[in-house]
Amino acid sequence: MSWGMTMAEKDMELDQLLAHARQNRPVLPDDLAVRVLTDAEAVRLERLRPPQRSHWARLLDNVAGWQGISGLVAAGVAGVWIGFAAPDFLPDPATFIYVQDSGYVVSDLGLDTVFLEDAE
Amino acid sequence: MEDLTSPLHDIRGVADAANGHGDDALLRQFADGDAAAARVLTDRLAPRSFSVALRMLGNKAEAEDVTQEAMMRLWQMAPNWVSGQAKVSTWLYRVTLNLCVDMRRKKSPDRLADVPEPEDGTRSAAERMQDEARKDALQTALSQLPERQRQAVVLRHIEELPNPEIAGVMGISTEAVESLTARGKRALTAILAGRRDELGYDDG
Repeated sequence: MSWGMTMAEKDMELDQLLAHARQNRPVLPDDLAVRVLTDAEAVRLERLRPPQRSHWARLLDNVAGWQGISGLVAAGVAGVWIGFAAPDFLPDPATFIYVQDSGYVVSDLGLDTVFLEDAE
Repeated sequence: MEDLTSPLHDIRGVADAANGHGDDALLRQFADGDAAAARVLTDRLAPRSFSVALRMLGNKAEAEDVTQEAMMRLWQMAPNWVSGQAKVSTWLYRVTLNLCVDMRRKKSPDRLADVPEPEDGTRSAAERMQDEARKDALQTALSQLPERQRQAVVLRHIEELPNPEIAGVMGISTEAVESLTARGKRALTAILAGRRDELGYDDG
C-alpha cells in the first residue's frame, strides 16, 4: 500500500466522519417549519368544515328530491310526444299560420292568442 | 407512482414507549382538530425527515421540498392512522426515503453538481450547513453509494436507528439491513481512500 494508512485507521477515519455528522445534524429551517405548519392548518381546517353538498344534490333538494326530478322528466317527455303526435282533439297549431293576415311571427303567438283572433 | 401512504401494515415498527406512543396520541389529537398537536409533531418529526433527506439528496432546497411533502402526507393520513401498528417516525422515514428516490429519478445527472451560490453574508444557518455538506467528504462519499446502501448507512450511522426499525423503514429483514450497512461502510472507506489519493493527502 502506498498511502501508509492501515485498514483500521481508514475505518477510524470513517467513524470520525460519521460521528461528526451525528453531532452536526441540521436544524429545521424556520421557513420550512412555517410551510409545514401552514399545510397542517389547511388540512385541519378542511377536515373541520362540514361536507359540501354537490350542485346536483342542491338541485335535487330544490325540486323535491328524485321524485320531483322524475315528475319533471315525465312532463318533459309527454310534451315532446304531444308535439310529435298530437291527439286528434287538439288543434294543430301549424294550421293557424295561414289564419293570420298580419306579419306575426308564429313563435310569438301563444295558442290563446290564436283562438281569440280566430273567434273574432 | 408507488402509493407511499398505504402500506402501513408492512411497517414493522419497534415499540418505543416514550416517543412512539406520544406521536401516536399527538397524531390522533391532530386528526380530532387540535392545532397545537401539529406544532409538537412538526418539532419532533420534521427535523428527522429533513436530516435524512439532506443526507440522501445533498441539496437543501430539494430536502426541504421532500420534508414538506412527507409532512403533508402525515397530516393527510392522520385520521387513518392505526395506533400500535408502527411508529409514526418509522412511517415518516419510509415516506421521506421514497420521496428522495422519486426526487433523484426526476433529477437529470448534470444537476448533481449544483451551481454555487453567491456569498452575501446573510446566509441562514441551514444554507451554511448545506455548504458544509457539499464540502463534507462524507457527503461526497455517500453520494457515490448505491441507493439502498446509502439509506441503510444514513439510518444506522447518522440517524442511529436500531436495525429492526431500519428493517421496518426499508421493508427488508434485519439481516439484510446488517448486510447493507456493512457493505455500505466498506464502500465508504474505499471511496474515502480513493479520494485521499486523488487529493494527494497521502504521499508515503
